[in-house]
Amino acid sequence: MRISLSWLAAYVPLPPAEELARRLTAVGLEVEAVERVGAALDGVVAARILSSERHPGAEKLAVCQVEAGDGPVQVVCGATNWKVGDVVPLATPGTRMPAGHRIDRASLRGVDSHGMLCSAKELALSEDASGLLILPGDAVPGTPLARVLGIEDVVLEVNVTPNRPDALSHLGIAREVAAATGAAVAYPDARLRQQAPPASASLRVSIEAPDRCYRYAARVVEGVRIGPSPAWLRQRLEACGVRSISNVVDATNFVLLERGQPLHAFDLDKVAGAEIVVRMARVGEKMVTLDGVERTLSPDDLVIADRDRASALAGVMGGGDSEISPGTTRVLIESAWFEPTGVRRTARRHALHTEASHRFERGVDPEGVVAALDRCAAMVAELSGGKVLRGAVDVHPHRRRPVDVVLHWARPGEILGMPVSRKEARIALLALGFELRASGAKNGKFRVPSWRLDVTREEDLVEEIVRLRGYDAIPETLPSIVSDTPALPLAAQIIERTRLALEGAGFSEAVNFSFVAPGDLTPLGPGNGRTGIPLRNPISADLAVMRSSLVPSLLKVLAYNRRQRVEDARLYEIASTYHPRGEGAVDDAPALEELHLSGVATGRRHPVGWSAGGDSIDFHDVKGALEAVLETLGVEGVRFVPGGGTWLHPRSAATMEWTAPDGGVVPLGVVGEIHPRVAAAFDLSRGVLAFDLSLEALNRAARLLTGHAGVPRFPAVLRDLAVVVANEVEARSVLDGVRAEPLVEDVTLFDVYKGAPIPDGKKNLAMAIRYRAADRTLTDSEADGAHARIVERLKGELGAELRG
Amino acid sequence: MDLVRDLEALAEGARLSIASASDDRALEELRVRFLGKKGEISAVLRGMGQLAAEERPRVGEVANRVRDEVESLLVLARQRIEDARLEQELRGSRIDVTLPGRRLLPRGHRHPVTRTTEEIVAIFARLGYEVASGPEIELDWYNFEALNIPADHPARDMQDTFYVDGAAIGRPEGEGAVLLRTHTSPIQIRAMKRAGSPPIRVVAPGRVYRSDYDQTHTPMFHQVEGICVGPAITFADLKGTLAAFARAFFGAGTRTRVRPSYFPFVEPGAEVDVSCSICGGSGSRSGARCGTCKGSGWLEVLGSGMVHPKVLENVGFDPAAVTGFAFGMGVERMAMLKYGIADLRLFYENDLRFLEQF
Repeated sequence: MRISLSWLAAYVPLPPAEELARRLTAVGLEVEAVERVGAALDGVVAARILSSERHPGAEKLAVCQVEAGDGPVQVVCGATNWKVGDVVPLATPGTRMPAGHRIDRASLRGVDSHGMLCSAKELALSEDASGLLILPGDAVPGTPLARVLGIEDVVLEVNVTPNRPDALSHLGIAREVAAATGAAVAYPDARLRQQAPPASASLRVSIEAPDRCYRYAARVVEGVRIGPSPAWLRQRLEACGVRSISNVVDATNFVLLERGQPLHAFDLDKVAGAEIVVRMARVGEKMVTLDGVERTLSPDDLVIADRDRASALAGVMGGGDSEISPGTTRVLIESAWFEPTGVRRTARRHALHTEASHRFERGVDPEGVVAALDRCAAMVAELSGGKVLRGAVDVHPHRRRPVDVVLHWARPGEILGMPVSRKEARIALLALGFELRASGAKNGKFRVPSWRLDVTREEDLVEEIVRLRGYDAIPETLPSIVSDTPALPLAAQIIERTRLALEGAGFSEAVNFSFVAPGDLTPLGPGNGRTGIPLRNPISADLAVMRSSLVPSLLKVLAYNRRQRVEDARLYEIASTYHPRGEGAVDDAPALEELHLSGVATGRRHPVGWSAGGDSIDFHDVKGALEAVLETLGVEGVRFVPGGGTWLHPRSAATMEWTAPDGGVVPLGVVGEIHPRVAAAFDLSRGVLAFDLSLEALNRAARLLTGHAGVPRFPAVLRDLAVVVANEVEARSVLDGVRAEPLVEDVTLFDVYKGAPIPDGKKNLAMAIRYRAADRTLTDSEADGAHARIVERLKGELGAELRG
Repeated sequence: MDLVRDLEALAEGARLSIASASDDRALEELRVRFLGKKGEISAVLRGMGQLAAEERPRVGEVANRVRDEVESLLVLARQRIEDARLEQELRGSRIDVTLPGRRLLPRGHRHPVTRTTEEIVAIFARLGYEVASGPEIELDWYNFEALNIPADHPARDMQDTFYVDGAAIGRPEGEGAVLLRTHTSPIQIRAMKRAGSPPIRVVAPGRVYRSDYDQTHTPMFHQVEGICVGPAITFADLKGTLAAFARAFFGAGTRTRVRPSYFPFVEPGAEVDVSCSICGGSGSRSGARCGTCKGSGWLEVLGSGMVHPKVLENVGFDPAAVTGFAFGMGVERMAMLKYGIADLRLFYENDLRFLEQF
């Protein structure tokens, strides 16, 4: 809300602007900006033309001597509508013109010019470019132009929160200033002169929807001459950002900005049957609103209708049919109280947000309806030469009962944590317009002012007291709750350990929007029918579906980074994926949200350095990173089973399966190379690795507190073993075969070799085996026996041949 | 007596040759020459058989002395050669200590939103707050109604809401609107309902969504919510807690300012400002107006207030018996202020050149 200080000062004494801004902010009316109106005219002053002569080098230019406060200066001028002695605007050197350029001392065809004499258009004051703006002859040379024109003002931009419709006006703000400074508000006098005949003779009003219109009051002004408003009125409206339209419309807007009561003026001669009916719109009913849009109304829209048709959307916008026009002579002024939620529904339904709807949907002062009407009628009569017919037509089906709230004198102290005396409480509330209706030892009953619809209970009174007193007065203490010190939840510890392991493996974290384009999810394939959850009102087609997988977002980030020439990238994200709820949902969350850990990687295995590097990252690098995660989480018994789903390369992907202690197999997720078609869909080349794990499954498998097995007491025997097996034989079955021997403590696969002299279709696996017994020193012959048993087992089970 | 003379001569020869030996191999040859089984001392000793019995001890004594001396000389000579070699090695050419260190992998980096969330949560965890979470696809009741924001209330304008079609998630019509939570405040409601009774202290980070996308807004962002409810919790506790938080997060010298504001789920409501982390609250920086706080010296960082009695009633708490405070803050804003990040878009581009700075 824009508040003009020159206007506000008419109602209450004001401290300096900055101080006022601070005080208003301190009582909860945040001043977001302090703007000097007329600042655009800084540097432009009134100047009297003392003499002139023709420019020696240019026929159409005059060289003037002007007085602008500091003695005569010389200015070259091209206009011709002036005479010596006129007072005109001078833009002095250094002035920044509204069009953006700066006026400097200049030489015009060899003659010095110390500034520029201006037209109204050059100063953005009007469209008049016909010549210099001629100022009143009594303007003192050197006076800033803004002051000469009377537009010097300061405007506060006040952020009025939705609970405070009472502050959406100059009088409302004046009340707050008065309460904060201890001054009194001078309410303007309506000065209403009424004349016969009574308005009720020329107008009938009926309310058919009393639940939506609690009161409808109207006055009639006759003999109106529509014309422009006087300058003072135009300037006040314009300072508040409201365009001046005509004297009658401006009067309604003036009262709106003065009192916060929206008003509407109709051309009474266009109100069919001289009849106002406040009713619900009919199904399919149409009307053209003032903005020229034809609207189909809903039966939930309240309209102001005449005998024949709807002529205004109640509380939102008037209609074109009954609009005030230059020929209007009889004016109907409406002042009403519409039910807030209904106005809000209509405004939203028609995507209209007006000064009127903004106030009605927050709630205007029910007791201010008629006062505003009278004020407006008086202004219309005064500005337009009309006469106000006697009496208001006032239909008031829904009378409001005053609200009384009891304040226990101890309550403010209990809530605020500082002593607040009864007297302090009373003084603050009385200053804000509350009335003390009854007072006892323990409590007092306060009547809430009619404009404070937001105050309904004791806590509201406490807020009133403390905001007037200032939040600074409240001390700083810490709560005295003593409770268990809760541990970080297990799930959070698991996430933290996972992050550390991934960071160690070179993965950085990405955070992506939860919504994606529907097309981002399709390349992943059907994915068990999971296609994300579409939004009803997405902000754009690219952000339209809550994602069912984190992978597409990560692939897009990879592609983005590649476009930035970042070739080596390892990224992960931990976030929810979203799915329709299945059967057997336990809590009342409307959708299924599964926390996932996904990652992507591409580029080189190690950074290229002076001693190594350059190989591309592959499946086993990413598998190693995931093994580090599993290890830090204490997850044991995970098998990497070939094959990882439709979006991964069939030859280079695995599903991670964890075997629970009860023998059940839990899939943790998948890892592998991105399917070439998926890579292409995301503008990526081959060789992108990815993984996708369920954090819920990891939570089940994790054992953060692990036991330990002591340190071996007896020496180990080390033996190497090299076997040749068919390529199809998985390393895991060879290693499992080795581990099946009880004396094996550990086995490390240290080489995999294909090629001569190993026959085609076969590979050589070289392993270092460590044998140890827990209770004795192994003899060589025991170790040899174990080694031989392993060889036999591998031969028998896997067709392995010993390599000599 | 020739043998004694021979031994003395032999010792003299050994002294000279050992002293002039310059490497291990020469020394080894000398050892074999003098001390070996077929060496010179052994040769002398073999001649002892021809001596008279009374001379043997004397010759034997000399022979042992000579052998001991040669052995000692050899040990010393080895040490001398070893020292010389080490000396030479230590004086040799240096390695290039300026070659870059060898790293198998560069470290991964945590996203600044996560880092900041963790810092905020850790501070409240130290104050005894439990960490809670809640669904992002939320029911209207939790996001609005329970928080004292009824349907058709103008406060709903404060948050442009994304809605989800109930049908799309298999939810029957008429069971209340489904939306993306516009703030983390619904977690307050869930946490209080879950706890069942006060006291309760909960801090809840998470993603939130509002339909707004421009220079200063993203349709998804992050908040951290906190709530503390119990007997005799006061506004002074709220001020003290948030002042302590501000000092822990922005630094010990940080001042806080609390002023009235409006959030439907608190009463009284308060906006919390902290002294500008960039200019230290002076409003100016190297003579010019501080751009971060726009010269005011203060930064708006938190919304807060005393939990509205209607909210307490909505979760079954008795507002006459318990009070509480709640607060919420935007993580991106906190991160921008703390790390001096000027452009909101950087958070969601996930450019590694940005991420790697954290």
